[in-house]
Amino acid sequence: MRKAIAVLFLGFIGYYLLSTFLLVPFGVVRVLEGVGLKYLQDGLQQTGAANLVTSIVVNYRGFDTLGEVTVLFLAATGMGALLYSKRPTERARQNASIIVKTGARILFPLIIILGAYVFIHGHLTPGGGFQGGAIIASGFLLMFMSYRTYHVNHVILSRVESSAGSVFVIIGLLGLAYGSSFLANILPLGTVNTLFSAGVIPLIYVAVGFKVGAELTALLDTMLQTVK
Amino acid sequence: MIYYIAAISLILIGIYAVLVKKNMVKIVLGLTLIDSGVNILIVSLGYIQGKTAPIFSNPTLTAQDMVDPVPQALVLTAIVIGVAVTALALSIVIRIYDHHKTLNINKIRELKW
Amino acid sequence: MYLDPVLMIALPLFAAFLIPPLARISKGLVKYVPVLIIGFNLYEMVMLLPHSMVKPVIVVIAAWAPPLGINLTIGPLGNILALIISLVGFVVAIYNIRFMEEEPNEKYHMLFLLLTAGATGMVLTGDIFNMFVFLEITSISSYALTAFLRDRDGAEAAFKYLLIGSLASTFILLGIALIYATTGTLNMAQIAVRIKDVDPRIAIMALILLVTGFGIEAEMFPLNGWAPDAYSQAPTPIGAAFGGIVVKAGVYALARLVYTIFDFQGIFHFILIAGIITLLIAEMSAIRQKQLKRMLAFSSIGQMGLVLIALGLATTRGVEGGLFQMFNHAMIKPLLFLSAGYLVFYSGSKNIEDMDGMGRVKPLLSFFFAFGAFAILGLPPLSGFWSKFIILSETIRNGFIAIAALALFGSIIEAVYYLRVVGRLYFKAPHEGLHVQYVPKSALVAMGILAIITLIAGLYPDFVMVYLKPAAAELLDKTVYIKSVLMAGL
Repeated sequence: MRKAIAVLFLGFIGYYLLSTFLLVPFGVVRVLEGVGLKYLQDGLQQTGAANLVTSIVVNYRGFDTLGEVTVLFLAATGMGALLYSKRPTERARQNASIIVKTGARILFPLIIILGAYVFIHGHLTPGGGFQGGAIIASGFLLMFMSYRTYHVNHVILSRVESSAGSVFVIIGLLGLAYGSSFLANILPLGTVNTLFSAGVIPLIYVAVGFKVGAELTALLDTMLQTVK
Repeated sequence: MIYYIAAISLILIGIYAVLVKKNMVKIVLGLTLIDSGVNILIVSLGYIQGKTAPIFSNPTLTAQDMVDPVPQALVLTAIVIGVAVTALALSIVIRIYDHHKTLNINKIRELKW
Repeated sequence: MYLDPVLMIALPLFAAFLIPPLARISKGLVKYVPVLIIGFNLYEMVMLLPHSMVKPVIVVIAAWAPPLGINLTIGPLGNILALIISLVGFVVAIYNIRFMEEEPNEKYHMLFLLLTAGATGMVLTGDIFNMFVFLEITSISSYALTAFLRDRDGAEAAFKYLLIGSLASTFILLGIALIYATTGTLNMAQIAVRIKDVDPRIAIMALILLVTGFGIEAEMFPLNGWAPDAYSQAPTPIGAAFGGIVVKAGVYALARLVYTIFDFQGIFHFILIAGIITLLIAEMSAIRQKQLKRMLAFSSIGQMGLVLIALGLATTRGVEGGLFQMFNHAMIKPLLFLSAGYLVFYSGSKNIEDMDGMGRVKPLLSFFFAFGAFAILGLPPLSGFWSKFIILSETIRNGFIAIAALALFGSIIEAVYYLRVVGRLYFKAPHEGLHVQYVPKSALVAMGILAIITLIAGLYPDFVMVYLKPAAAELLDKTVYIKSVLMAGL
């Protein structure tokens, strides 16, 4: 009965959603005056970042990204609050086999380096702070799964989170103090397609990379134990 | 076209899981399915036939060769928000499990809908 | 003299990032951080008021003029709502000083600060996707705060709230995707210009998706299933903050959508009808409740129904009345919640029947509750009377006599259950064995501020109406809003 109602309801939603989206033509330029095209035309000169998605995420819509970083921070904080306990207890985990353990030890530094590469080159190649941070956290996840007793120090993680988040806001405030508005670029744009280009974008993305890496690692570690 | 259908099917499967499933972890899985569906839908709205990723990695590329970058930027934000909500949902589930020792939502629903 | 308004969002985020290291230095200092930061926001909003009343203040972010970058658009409406949010946030932050003593209290203050910052961002931003991001900040902190006490019911209420909230954000994202795909912009003013050229079938679908999504935060029927549980299971100040902060931001988003962005007359009748259904169902449920806080939660939904009726009228006086009702609700509902929190605490029970005789045991606390109850049910000359009077008379003037009669009926039900509680407080003998202690001064100060504002708004309603008139005008005439945003780009 419950299933029948659910299916009917879904059919209703699905029909209307699909028939509306089918009115939107797929794979063509629909709006000639859209902001997307403006970013494509002027983005390279205006921000100096070869990766236009990065220049939108960090520069044009940088305020969204600040909010986004805050959302992750909130999730980590909320999780810490919900799983708080006066006497931390470990949730049961199994030790992995020797092959996995050895493999994890070899792969772990490589994964961290890959993550750092991805967020440092966020303005040049696909990737960025969020992607790099997620890769770093996946390295820690591998370690958590292979070694039963492996733990990260929450105090250090929390320090990294706080300082990376503050760096983001401080860069924004410097833009307000020395530039025209909050998050405005105050550094020279440099030559396109070189590491030191695109003004404050790489700085912000490095901060975001550290923050996301630390936060996701803290999330994973929190789920494995109740924290104090 | 096929992208729209696939994305909307994902969303519907997710909503079905949220409405019908009894296991709380499966409900959270349903939420992540919905998220993925919405993200695929938004990215496919930005696609333009025969064009490439909006990165000027190669000097021969011009703005005419690229797809709309805005949906990709929006999806990046939406993914992160989805991850945050999922993490919080799972921690609430852990908390409920600690109290009731069950994941079945029928056995624990004390507050009326 | 005001500083750059973007600081009202940047500073709370900055402070929230810095709270963990601060907590390691001194636990005692953390609880004053929200008071300080939200106090700064309050100062900013008061100082901005004379400027934004004349013409909307546009704040460019990241040096890109709209529509390229995100901007804050602080018109009269945004300013008033941000002022209300900061005021409620400030008062609740004062109340919090002595409320949350147990661990991990620094996380509690951090989440509360971000809740306020998110709601402030929602009412100030001029970009629809940015509004979604701030909505998520507000709602994720709400989920975490609902379950903060780590008891059984709190976790369940939070899970339910999270499920409904996630569905809401799905709908909002789908709506935004449709809008971006057809107008090629995310700036609300520019969308408002371009939406006329969009295929009406797509526009209506986008409107439905967005109204459904934001309607969940605004407690619109039938999307308010989360509210009673979340209000009653969350810590008391958070229940107050839901009524005074989260819901206000939701209603703002709804009003902005139907008045400024979309140009579709049919939606107003829908909102009118949704409003009256919300009102009636909520009041009928409220009178059946045995728990004090659940009763207050249903009453809050009912009040929002009244606001929706006023917004659905779409006349100058009606919208003014609706905004006045929102202001009253934002002042009075936290007052009721904050005093009810201590009443519940001292009687040791959530049930209304165990509140007997508290008026004799805790006279000041009960006075605050009774005062709030009288104000919200609209006893003249308290402020609730004026807003209800405006809305009902305007409903009749527009020919919706049946709706006015039903709304009046709802108000009578409301009067019955509030007076029942007040009667129990004063005219019954107190129970044995109450473990009454003194109420912390910070809590009394918080309730005192709200009571004084309510009293002033009741005695001199024109003092508030002066500021609400431009806000209503902003909603009804969108050209000023659109022009001032798009001119900033030139």
